[in-house]
Amino acid sequence: MRRFRQPSILPGFGLTLGFTTFFLSAIVLIPLAALIIKGSTPSLGQLKEILLDPRAIASYRLSFGAAFLAATINALFGFIVAWTLVRYEFPGRRLVDALIDLPFALPTAVSGIALTAVFAPNGWLGQKLAEVGVQVAYTWIGVVVALTLIGLPFVVRSVQPALIEVQRDLEDAAETLGASPFQIFRRIILPAVLPALLTGFTLAFARGIGEYGSVVFISGNLPMKTEITPLLIVIKLEQFDYLAAAALGLAMLVMSFVMLFAINLVQAWGRRRHVAAGR
Amino acid sequence: MSIELDQVTKRYQGVPVVNDVSIEVAEGEFLVLLGPSGSGKSTLLRAIAGLTEIDRGRVSLHGRDVTHVSAREREVGFVFQHYALFRHMTIGENIEFALRVRRAKTAERRDRRKELLRLVALEGMDDRLPAQLSGGQQQRIAVARALAHRPKVLLMDEPFGALDAKIREELRRTIRQIQRELGISTILVTHDQEEAFALADRIGVMHQGRLLECGKPDDLYTRPATRFVSTFLGAANLLLGYRSKDGIRFSPPGNPTPATSTVQEIVTVLRPEEVELAAGSKELKSTFVGHARVEEVLFGGAVERLRVRMQDGGTVASAVKGAAASSDGTLIEVTRTLPEKRQLPVAPGQRVALGARRIHVLPTPVSSFSAVATVEEDCARIAAAPMLQALSTRMLTRINHRVEPALGQPPDGKPPKVLAPPGVAAVESGPGGAARVEWLLRHGALQVLCLDPERPVPARVVIHAASDAALRPTMAVASSLLRNLPAEAAFLDIQPLDLPEEARAVQLRHLLDARSEAAAVHGLDVRTELRFGDSATELSKELAAEDTALLIVGLPLASAADAWQRLRPLARLLDARGGDPVLIVRAAT
Repeated sequence: MRRFRQPSILPGFGLTLGFTTFFLSAIVLIPLAALIIKGSTPSLGQLKEILLDPRAIASYRLSFGAAFLAATINALFGFIVAWTLVRYEFPGRRLVDALIDLPFALPTAVSGIALTAVFAPNGWLGQKLAEVGVQVAYTWIGVVVALTLIGLPFVVRSVQPALIEVQRDLEDAAETLGASPFQIFRRIILPAVLPALLTGFTLAFARGIGEYGSVVFISGNLPMKTEITPLLIVIKLEQFDYLAAAALGLAMLVMSFVMLFAINLVQAWGRRRHVAAGR
Repeated sequence: MSIELDQVTKRYQGVPVVNDVSIEVAEGEFLVLLGPSGSGKSTLLRAIAGLTEIDRGRVSLHGRDVTHVSAREREVGFVFQHYALFRHMTIGENIEFALRVRRAKTAERRDRRKELLRLVALEGMDDRLPAQLSGGQQQRIAVARALAHRPKVLLMDEPFGALDAKIREELRRTIRQIQRELGISTILVTHDQEEAFALADRIGVMHQGRLLECGKPDDLYTRPATRFVSTFLGAANLLLGYRSKDGIRFSPPGNPTPATSTVQEIVTVLRPEEVELAAGSKELKSTFVGHARVEEVLFGGAVERLRVRMQDGGTVASAVKGAAASSDGTLIEVTRTLPEKRQLPVAPGQRVALGARRIHVLPTPVSSFSAVATVEEDCARIAAAPMLQALSTRMLTRINHRVEPALGQPPDGKPPKVLAPPGVAAVESGPGGAARVEWLLRHGALQVLCLDPERPVPARVVIHAASDAALRPTMAVASSLLRNLPAEAAFLDIQPLDLPEEARAVQLRHLLDARSEAAAVHGLDVRTELRFGDSATELSKELAAEDTALLIVGLPLASAADAWQRLRPLARLLDARGGDPVLIVRAAT
């Protein structure tokens, strides 16, 4: 422990580390460990049966696919929203800025019900969309819509500070050097905000995988079609099939961890590239 | 000409931040735009680069009109105060950026990169990141990057602003060297006069959006044309003087005599280093100015800095410099070299004789302001008018109070016993306004300002000369005021409706001549308009807008008796309560 004893402005390193470890254990690690233990109790054959069940596989596809799609949509439109908020002065800018955080604060079930009301075949938007043959509620599109709503603040709030950092001078400099607006965007702005954008994407993606409340209302929960993994877990629980629930939970945990870890590696690689000498 | 600006104007929320600026920069010339912060110099530079759109005027680079050409097609190099290097790119990538967006070949890019890094003496830095370089090095890279596409014009916006003194000087030398070597026309913006002197072939001084003066550094220092330039470039004592046939005196004239009636009030510049101190007036080697008492002595290394207060009433020079002005004499700043100090050591409290080795007379026709009224309270009210306050602060002059019980009374046939105050005499407009103006003109005033003390500082100036003879003095007064008002100006020439066609052409030429003369002699660029009709009607029409506009009218007066006749068309404006301010400039014929 000696070499960790760096003089610091904040005293009590031992105390704070102890608290951090305890807190993390009590809130995160112990429940996760319980999940792992419980999830590993069934035999390998049982596990395979539970996890490779076609219904389960369809749910993984929907959960991860919709979360990925929603995070991608958010990365694109969240960037535009952040850009608008940072770069332009318009009446009501502060109001819009505050609205961005609403999905954070709103109980997710409320968002889900609201979305369902709007996108249901007899809802405001649902009616219009039904005319052109698009059904949102009770299909996978509805799931994507719900996850997009939930994930938007993550992207906007990550990208905003990075965009503020990109000084106008840089764009002006690029312009006097002969760069076109597209070149300025691609070579100056995008590289500067890419790490933040990726962070926002990761957060939105992670949130999308775990989201339950808003999705269950709009998805219709048709097995094999619009059933997300978290819902499948709840269903197993309601059937007192704790083993299956724990196994599915474990599967989600592993897959999420692998994906987030992969994204983190990409980010770290990007950072290294910027800092390291050479190209 | 490599850079040519013609009457460039840029407004922010209606206020001109760059106001009618015209400059020409020759091939290979180094021009430094100098001015305090907020003088519009950076905006002007951005306008040349195309980073800011202009509201009026024309920008040409190498004979090509680029007013409506975007920054990326203007082919200029721009260096920013905070370097603006692309932090995610290496030094090499930064320098190659301009070539990369032009899709230059790899080999060409590499050669140019090596060449530029050699030019800024940073060879081998190609693979570093900007964050790994010191501030001075980063700015060198920024210069190299700005030169990569071989621009014909280099623009630098306070490039040394973020650096410390020592690196600043070194980089200054590098930039001067590069500029000479490449022979590239350069404009550099700064607020540091030392920097301007060190770098410039020519210095342009900007203030409140206007280019006040432009010239060789030593010319600007020794022969400034404006108060602002004389005090902004180095230190200066501004003194009021009185010029007559006998020469310049520093004591105001007393009662009217045939001799004093031709005395003209002038503003003189006395540089601290041109002041000579001696024990008595006999010992002075230069022109005696007056006696003074030493107030403060500061040792400043190579020079000694003193402040002395002018004494003996008769020879006291009226104060021009704002705070230093008080009833007990003017504070004068003096610097002496050490040999001078050894010859006559002085201590605070000591009485000395003050001489001037060299005095420069400013060509400005507006010397001081006097608020004139029948009672003291009204004087104070007039003096508090926002426009007078603004002008006196900016022109570093003071507003005298003058109580004249007889002001505004009709002539009694006898020759006047008192002289109107020198400089600009200000009276209140409203009922009797025209009579007050007439009284002042009759008593020898050269410039009379008639204003409502409640009105704000004018946003617009309308200039009109009632005859060709009045044109020159009117323009001189107008340009002097406009340097100190952030207002837009228009020169209005009004001709009778029945003017024959060929006379109209002649008149138009007159007008254009007047404009170019104003630009050449007074450095004033104004919009010009030719109207046909009755001058009183046309002027009222021009002033009808909601905003406050100052009308400057030049009147030719052959004799004092002429005044009433000439004023009649303006009487309605002068007598109106709450009307626009009117400045009458008297032109001697």
